[in-house]
Amino acid sequence: MHVSSNLSVQRTACLVLVALSCLFTPAISVKYENFKTCDQAGFCKRNRQYADRAVAAGSSWDVPYQISPDTLSWKNGLLQGTILKTINEDGETVRLPITISFLESGSARVVIDEEKRQKGEIGLRHNSKAKKQRYNEAESWAIVGGLAPSTTATEERDAKKSVVKYGKDGQFEAVITFTPFGIDFKRGAITEVKLNDRGLLNVEHWRPKTDKLEPEKKGGEEETPVLEVPAQEDESTWWDESFGGSTDSKPRGPESVGLDITFPGYSHVYGIPEHSGPLSLKETRATEGNYQDPYRLYNADVFEYIIDSPMTLYGAIPFMQAHRKDSTVGVFWLNAAETWIDVIKEKEAHNPLSLGIGSKTDTKTHWFSESGLVDVFVFLGPTPKDVTKAYGELTGYTQLPQEFAIAYHQCRWNYNTDEDVKDVDRKMSKHQIPYDVIWLDIEYTHEKEYFTWDPLNFPNPTGMLAQLDQSERKLVAIIDPHIKNTNNYHIVDELKKKGLAVHNKDGNIYEGWCWPGSSHWIDCFNPAAITWWKSLFQYSAFKGSADNLFIWNDMNEPSVFNGPETTMPKDNLHYGDWEHRDVHNINGMTFHNATYQALLSRKKGEHKRPFVLTRSFYSGSQRLGAMWTGDNEAKWDHLAAAFPMILNLGIAGYPFAGADVGGFFGNPEKELLTRWYQAGAFYPFFRGHAHIDTRRREPYLAGEPYTGIISRALRLRYSLLPVWYTAFHIASVDGTPIIRPHFFEYPSDETGFATDDQFFIGSTGLLVHPVVTEGAESVEMYIPDTEVYYDYFDYKGYEGKGVHTIEAPLDKTPLLMQGGHIIPRKDRPRRSSGLMKFDPYTIVIVLSIAGTATGELYVDDGDSFDYESGAYIHRSFDFENGVLESKNIGVKGKLTDKYLKTMKNVGVEKIIVVGAPLEWKEKTTVKVGKTEASVEYHAGEPDKAPWFLVKKPKIAIGEDWKIEI
Amino acid sequence: MKRINAIVLLSTLTAPVLAADSARPRGVGPEFSKFYKDVESFTCISHPSIKLSRTQINDDYCDCPDGSDEPGTAACTYLSTYSPPQPVPGAPDGTSNISIALPGFYCKNRGHIPNYIPHQFVNDGVCDYEICCDGSEEYDGVGGIKCPDKCGEIGIEWKKLDEIKQKSMSVALKKKEEMLKTAQELKAALETTISKTRDEVENLQVRADDLERKYNEIERRERGKLVQSKGKGSKVTVLAGLAKQRVEQLRESLVSVVEKKNALKQRVEELEYILATFKEERNPNFNDEGVKRAVKAWEDYAAAKVESDESAQDRDIEDISKPDHESDDGINWAEWETEPEETDVDALYKFEEYLPVSLREWLHKKLVDMRIMLVENGILADNANSGSESKTVTTSRQAFQSVKDEHSSKAASLSQFEKDLEKDFGPSDVFRALTGHCVSTDSGEYEYELCWMDKTMQKSKKGGGNTGMGKFVRFDKLEVDEEIGADGKGVGQGERITMMYENGQHCWNGPNRQTTVVLACYEKDEIWKVVEQEKCMYRMDVGTPAVCEKQTSGKKAEGKDEL
Repeated sequence: MHVSSNLSVQRTACLVLVALSCLFTPAISVKYENFKTCDQAGFCKRNRQYADRAVAAGSSWDVPYQISPDTLSWKNGLLQGTILKTINEDGETVRLPITISFLESGSARVVIDEEKRQKGEIGLRHNSKAKKQRYNEAESWAIVGGLAPSTTATEERDAKKSVVKYGKDGQFEAVITFTPFGIDFKRGAITEVKLNDRGLLNVEHWRPKTDKLEPEKKGGEEETPVLEVPAQEDESTWWDESFGGSTDSKPRGPESVGLDITFPGYSHVYGIPEHSGPLSLKETRATEGNYQDPYRLYNADVFEYIIDSPMTLYGAIPFMQAHRKDSTVGVFWLNAAETWIDVIKEKEAHNPLSLGIGSKTDTKTHWFSESGLVDVFVFLGPTPKDVTKAYGELTGYTQLPQEFAIAYHQCRWNYNTDEDVKDVDRKMSKHQIPYDVIWLDIEYTHEKEYFTWDPLNFPNPTGMLAQLDQSERKLVAIIDPHIKNTNNYHIVDELKKKGLAVHNKDGNIYEGWCWPGSSHWIDCFNPAAITWWKSLFQYSAFKGSADNLFIWNDMNEPSVFNGPETTMPKDNLHYGDWEHRDVHNINGMTFHNATYQALLSRKKGEHKRPFVLTRSFYSGSQRLGAMWTGDNEAKWDHLAAAFPMILNLGIAGYPFAGADVGGFFGNPEKELLTRWYQAGAFYPFFRGHAHIDTRRREPYLAGEPYTGIISRALRLRYSLLPVWYTAFHIASVDGTPIIRPHFFEYPSDETGFATDDQFFIGSTGLLVHPVVTEGAESVEMYIPDTEVYYDYFDYKGYEGKGVHTIEAPLDKTPLLMQGGHIIPRKDRPRRSSGLMKFDPYTIVIVLSIAGTATGELYVDDGDSFDYESGAYIHRSFDFENGVLESKNIGVKGKLTDKYLKTMKNVGVEKIIVVGAPLEWKEKTTVKVGKTEASVEYHAGEPDKAPWFLVKKPKIAIGEDWKIEI
Repeated sequence: MKRINAIVLLSTLTAPVLAADSARPRGVGPEFSKFYKDVESFTCISHPSIKLSRTQINDDYCDCPDGSDEPGTAACTYLSTYSPPQPVPGAPDGTSNISIALPGFYCKNRGHIPNYIPHQFVNDGVCDYEICCDGSEEYDGVGGIKCPDKCGEIGIEWKKLDEIKQKSMSVALKKKEEMLKTAQELKAALETTISKTRDEVENLQVRADDLERKYNEIERRERGKLVQSKGKGSKVTVLAGLAKQRVEQLRESLVSVVEKKNALKQRVEELEYILATFKEERNPNFNDEGVKRAVKAWEDYAAAKVESDESAQDRDIEDISKPDHESDDGINWAEWETEPEETDVDALYKFEEYLPVSLREWLHKKLVDMRIMLVENGILADNANSGSESKTVTTSRQAFQSVKDEHSSKAASLSQFEKDLEKDFGPSDVFRALTGHCVSTDSGEYEYELCWMDKTMQKSKKGGGNTGMGKFVRFDKLEVDEEIGADGKGVGQGERITMMYENGQHCWNGPNRQTTVVLACYEKDEIWKVVEQEKCMYRMDVGTPAVCEKQTSGKKAEGKDEL
């Protein structure tokens, strides 16, 4: 007895210790058990097993897909025919119509469907009302152009293959092999992309559920072969599937599509956001240091996500770029269902005798989706820019945002009252810290009913918006797709009455849980729902809204607290009787789109660019507004993880991206908060945000020296707004990312192919390496060429390809200016970007070794669509032979002159030439057109560049001029 | 007036020719006018070596490393410790990270009070009438903005309000006088009470000493009386037997209680573990109020739990639970269960009986004295406790005890009074008058209550209990920078007295709640604003006459100069 009592004392201490440690170190990590591994997702397991069988079989792998040549026809860049899939040993086949389109843009598209389902000749289980076709409307959401067929492509066919020459000057070639089916895409003589090279094409054709499995289980006679089903095939995941307590009825049974895509000679692939890993994607099958599971794309509200993982996150862009020295290609897998991508890299000696010299790596990818079509676009580059441009031609480019949207956003869950908002606004002004937008999270509503204001805490939203408007600041309020299921709430009444909600598998209105508790979800696939949604945002309908109120769409994966994997059941039904399974990854974009449309039409005649932030996204969401990387944590590794994510989004066509500055969960130490602001100043979307249970962290609360340093980071962002806005303009016309990874800017420099901790801003030659580690005093910065680089702040010079140590004490962001660029900026700090509109520019000329420099500036009114009618300034700056020249590169439109008039007083206050030659030392004036401006030459301190100052040259930013030094 | 303006205009245009003394460049305040007197040149204020021509003043280009050549434009705003650094030759550390020489753009605000506005507000297209009622900072009309002079109406409005404020101020000061008076009265009353109590305490002390002496004497005598053991061996042994039985019973039940205790403790541990896991694994993002309340209650519970080391106690209990023969401290029952032998003391009593009466009495006295001596030296056991006390001892002891009790209770209240007297009740002891008073206000979904010198509270309108936001601990001071509303409410700018309320209810994922009560002069006690500045750290802006001070008319006079 005594012994046992002693033992129990010890156990107490131990348990108390455990309990206490739980109390004081909130152990944060993702709930793995809430999300499926590949093994737990039937079709993922099946497709991986299929791949394993192919590998095991080696060269004896019998690919059951072949094109029947007599079905082929060629017309207007379109090759159409039928693939026959052999489904049993009796040689029975299933017909799979295939369309291969060669587009004017040089892109190619391969679509494979299933004939029986096209014709609706199938039966559904459980009396399901779901549509019988494979989902074929992803295109209508994701694609906005670039589908014009090639007029110059030519086809040649023999018994075994068809060869199509296409692209500019016929530089591309597609070789379509009939048996087994496969396509090799070539640029010149080199094969760049191969489809079905490994024979993993898998179209799970429709089949009725038979109960023939029963005898197999009887009496343990397991060795009895079942003839209908090949021995290896595992039917256990064909029908109803359960996970985490909910069962998916799968009325159409197994219907996944899979395909292998090989990039011969490519050792780097990028893209397929959203994941928290490195820019250059990792291998996903087993070997040491690689991921266990494939990259997953199934938009989900992943709580406390971990970094460096192939786990799915909030958004999906099934677009991948492959890169090798001097060549980039890409593929776009247009499918809205749950998708997984395996990546493996195989080294093979090019020539067995060359002993590793010239050995090359092939990157082999394997894509599979739970339902829908095989619909894949192939882009043959050859530059990264060509690939992103071609992808953007299809899915659209980033909407040029209002200028405030690229300035600083101050957010928190939650600003508690309208007075609280006004107080923060006043304090930011008082501390002379610029910001443009303050945000309201869900607590502003009356009991989580969107389009209402909490009457106690937000009694006067109009007064609040008016105060913000005084300094041209904006408010963003959250509105989510879940509509509270309650009485006396007109929005839910209308939603129900009009039948605009998502339905469950039985066709009744779907009910689940989210912030408000019991909720219904608006179904924005329904055009009538969009029309209704637009009506809700009319100023007359949304009381307390104003034209400086914009919207944040959160939880649109959709997040359903009590749903499988925190989202909707896959057998839910959307507009047109498509199953949720078919459309899941597009769902978030449809809601984002509805809100975008709504903001466009708040008032007749108002013609302002909408701003809508989204958490969930798909290919095409970039047309609608910004995204952010969701609920990160106030930890150094999350700070470090953000840039690879944002870079990946950028090269995948969605450059308007950012992470929560400071980290959403938890309280950042002041050093972390400060470093995060310095880093955040280089996020295309720059917003500070914090969880409701964290301490306040508005910049002015940090105290010195932190507040001062944070303020400098914010003002740096503001002074460089002309650079950012110009980069956004470029992204909006050709899809070039706003922050650009090394491989993108230096496609020949192999050292930089995996670099994702530093990057370039637009085409300005600004190279930044944000500090993302604790206690750093310097960073190792990689310079990719032999050009000269100068420290942005003190003109210290760096030269030579390779790694340089750059000082980075807490008050400094490592930022270099590459020689050869001209950087326009605005140095006068103001309360908001709107108040900087008429301030003069400072032009920084960073001379190259050759003594030249070029640059570009795009300016417009920053809020309307008038730029579409020419109301903008677009200049190129060139410095050569001592002459700086500003030239118009815009196209004149009907509003050009009117706009230029409003800008005629906006000038240049000074021109700084960094790296000025010694012979300018004696100069006192320079020629500015017909007049003169005074100048100063400043010899640099040792190791710092000499610089030259042109004072007040009296030139207008919108006009042509020349300065002769 | 108009003529002067015209001259000013001319002088800025044609520079050195016409120079009136009043022609300060735009944005220069009177205290800096001496730097701008030279008609031909200008010397940067903090860089006398840098000489500029007069035309370089306010030419919208920043020449001086201290920004002094641009008093009337925003050209030098990039010179700031809050802006990214860039090389500035001549600046102290060679960069733009400096504070500029001028406090801002000087708005004359004719008809009202002149003021400085930050240079970055100059020509930004916003009429900042709160600072610059004459709109003079927007002279460039950027973006087509026009800021007509509104000092007339604003000045009149301000004067009206100022009058109200002055009236309110005199009301407030009167109230403060009353408060001070009350406070003084309270203090005086307290002092009287203290001195009265002190006398009482002293008297009681004297009486107690006296009674104690008497009591001791009586008790001493009493102790000398010999008490013969009336115990009978047989009874002791019976008692020992019964006691042993009883002890065994008690021991058994103690053991079973300990077992039950351990079982329950284990269950508590299990429950705590479940709750700790629950707290760890829940998804705070779902923000379920019920779950949050449960987790919060658990956190409060866990935080309040005293982790005492019970091992010593457990060891004691364990020791006690051992059968007597196994324990070092156990009773040796065998010793008690047998008849004791006759002791020497018994023999002594018997011996007396054989002596003559006179001798017997002498000897008896001696023996009693010796016994007292032995008792007092701890050699013999004192029998005072073992037997019943004599009535005289009881009476004298009670008399002493009651006076002693009265003394200590008086002494305690005396020290309480003295503490109260010494306690900080703010300047001039004024908050003494407010002790015991509370004020409350409605703010959003809560009602807030402030009890002077006591505590702060939050009451939710959506139901649920009151939340303590701190108990008063001390006065402090805080530099504040807030607006004063047109109604005269608001803490304004400068150093304010604050009352710190700490150690309120523990907070969700945060510290114990605390409140900084910032005080400003107002005609009555009123809570103006409650903000949660940091998680669970509140600030209450409160008006009260208690902090009003008679104003020296400094600022106002300065204003009048300009009129």
